[in-house]
Amino acid sequence: MKRIFVACGSGVATSQTVASKVQSMCEDENLDVSVEAVDFKSLENIIDQCDIYISIVSEKDNNWNVPTIKGIPFLTGIGMEEEFEKLKELIKK
Amino acid sequence: MFNDIIQYILGLGAAIFLPVIMIILGLCVKMKIKKAIISGITLGIAFTGMNVVLGFMFNSISPAAQALVQRTGLQLTAIDVGWAPISAIAWAWPFALFMFPVQIIINLIMLALKFTDCLNVDLWNVWGKILTATLVAYITGSVVLGFVAGGIQVILELISGDLVQKRCYEATNIPGVTCTHPMFLQGPYLALINKILDFVPGINKVNVDAAELKKRIGIFGENSIMGFIVGGLIAFLGGYAIKDILITAMSVATAMVLFPMVAKLFMQALAPIADAAGTFMKSKFKGRDFYIGLDWPFLAGCSEVWVIAIVLVPIELILAFGLSQMGLNKLIPLASIINIVVTPPAMIIARKNLLRMFIMCIIATPSYLVVATQFAPQITQMAADTHTLQTQTGQLISWMQIEAPEFRWSIVHALNGDISGIAGIAVFAILFVWYFIYMKKSNAQLSKKE
Repeated sequence: MKRIFVACGSGVATSQTVASKVQSMCEDENLDVSVEAVDFKSLENIIDQCDIYISIVSEKDNNWNVPTIKGIPFLTGIGMEEEFEKLKELIKK
Repeated sequence: MFNDIIQYILGLGAAIFLPVIMIILGLCVKMKIKKAIISGITLGIAFTGMNVVLGFMFNSISPAAQALVQRTGLQLTAIDVGWAPISAIAWAWPFALFMFPVQIIINLIMLALKFTDCLNVDLWNVWGKILTATLVAYITGSVVLGFVAGGIQVILELISGDLVQKRCYEATNIPGVTCTHPMFLQGPYLALINKILDFVPGINKVNVDAAELKKRIGIFGENSIMGFIVGGLIAFLGGYAIKDILITAMSVATAMVLFPMVAKLFMQALAPIADAAGTFMKSKFKGRDFYIGLDWPFLAGCSEVWVIAIVLVPIELILAFGLSQMGLNKLIPLASIINIVVTPPAMIIARKNLLRMFIMCIIATPSYLVVATQFAPQITQMAADTHTLQTQTGQLISWMQIEAPEFRWSIVHALNGDISGIAGIAVFAILFVWYFIYMKKSNAQLSKKE
């Protein structure tokens, strides 16, 4: 099972919105994943525990050694299918 | 008879009646029965869990806070519980869920009439409107006026979202989105301070690397660390022995880490409804260009937001003590001491100039303390009335990060017919018009650069 993290300011609202969305999209495709909403501030300490990171901040602010995909499309709906395809590829790896 | 039934249902408390409403609503938006029931129960657990954690926190911090009051003579009788319990109080308002259609309908009408280019899909922060509405309804006794205030806030948030879109893009490089969070309704005041700072020589010359600074002091932004420090500080000022200082510090740290975990349950329960509503809104405007309004965390990648929020902490404590001597503040800043409600709009207005941000945030901080103090009795009473939280008698609760404090205080008192509130809302309106022009000019310049 792949572990996916989504981070936001409190690990509650935005990140949980994206996490719920991705979780239900994965369930529909029978992908075995666990998507967790986490706190942006503690990301540095826990990033190693995940396989894929979904980021809702701009790319230049990310420097983690984890495959990363964009989270904003899951909030706006624009370009969501493309990002989900990328995510599926990463999950199947 | 009908009234009796309603009273009986409300008397059961939010943890019982809201899950029932939630399950019915879930079935209305065509959720599967199993998922709807899980959502409903999760919502009940969220309320109950919040009560447990808050009770736990009060058991440790309340005696320490009272000791502090007795020992120092400072009249700090209200505890800042942070946004999580306050959102529980807002969601527990019997009319809370009706704010969803209010926000959606106003937004769709404004888009159709081209009064805004912003589609706000942040349906979590509907609770910000609910909070304003509950405060208005509580003080004026009129639910209708509550919804009027909520509606006004929806409109202002959308216009504010239009105004800051270009600068949000400048700060994050994320296209097509803007921030519609109520924290930006402090923008007019912050912009005024920023404008005055234009006349101070040398202010733009200070150059600080925020990312580097964040690496060094970022640890203080952790809920656990800050909870431990401030909890310990209160116990220390209360004259506790070292052993008890450490126990209090650890208990407060525990509560501050558990609060967001419990609040996450609210989000899990509400996510399917919010998602269905968001999809509905998006489907209505295919082909029309608009920005998507989001909650603030897409700005959280900017280190400036955290750095200033952390260096502000000692200043908040000094101001809290100082203002209490003048009788203006009764709040002990605690759970929302890392004020990430003032720093994002300050960053956008100051365009990441750290020194400007810092000065703006210091000047803005008293508003938060004073307004949180003013609303403490109402918030405490609302918590008791809705059975959301059982707080000990005499212990007031409030929320320092009360977003857009000037707007909230003014609209509540204006709708109650108070002269001070009407004056406050007049000042807000004049400043907002000036801010509108100010930002439009700046946006035109930003467009030219592109």
